[in-house]
Amino acid sequence: MEKISLVLASDDFEKLQAASMMASVAAVSGMTVNVFVTMAAMACFVKERVEKKEFLKVGEVGKAILRKKAPLYPDLLAQGREMGEMKVYACSLALDLLEKPLEEMIPVFDEVVGVATFLGIAEGGQILFV
Amino acid sequence: MAEELKVDEVVDARGMYCPGPLMELIKTIQLKPVGTVLSVLSTDEGSVKDIPAWLRKVGQEHVQTEKKEGFWDVTVRKVK
Repeated sequence: MEKISLVLASDDFEKLQAASMMASVAAVSGMTVNVFVTMAAMACFVKERVEKKEFLKVGEVGKAILRKKAPLYPDLLAQGREMGEMKVYACSLALDLLEKPLEEMIPVFDEVVGVATFLGIAEGGQILFV
Repeated sequence: MAEELKVDEVVDARGMYCPGPLMELIKTIQLKPVGTVLSVLSTDEGSVKDIPAWLRKVGQEHVQTEKKEGFWDVTVRKVK
């Protein structure tokens, strides 16, 4: 089966949207998808922030996404996991740096892993770094 | 023009943004038996191209796409 892995490292709302959309469409198209959330992106998965829709960096397109009530990245990722072969990994370093346990993040994660584990999972497939 | 087509299920995804119509189609097609003809209504033009691309990828049949007034009607047959 075709495999694609995405690294989400940015806290830019539009980048999270674009990457999550790619991930979920790939998953429903029969690809195996791995998503690794790390660095600044991890802060955008804090439950409280997502619930209040307090996104960190929202540009012009991002504002339109919110205004038009298009599905947001947590929904897109959840959809991909539900409807396809997709796993979402949380970077253990990013969680440590934020001093937050996985329980304070939105429930889209399958597992907490380090970079070496993720590279092993992604091996042999394409990796997109966002 | 093809012969009269009997549509078993209409997926009305008008007003949804990309990839909403595709996702709605997938949710519905999974639940239907082989042979089902589905018609997806979409106001999003990207989805009108995306749905046939997805159908090719997963091996389902794209029957036709029709431009209606203010939306598209993409007809799909579940073949496996």
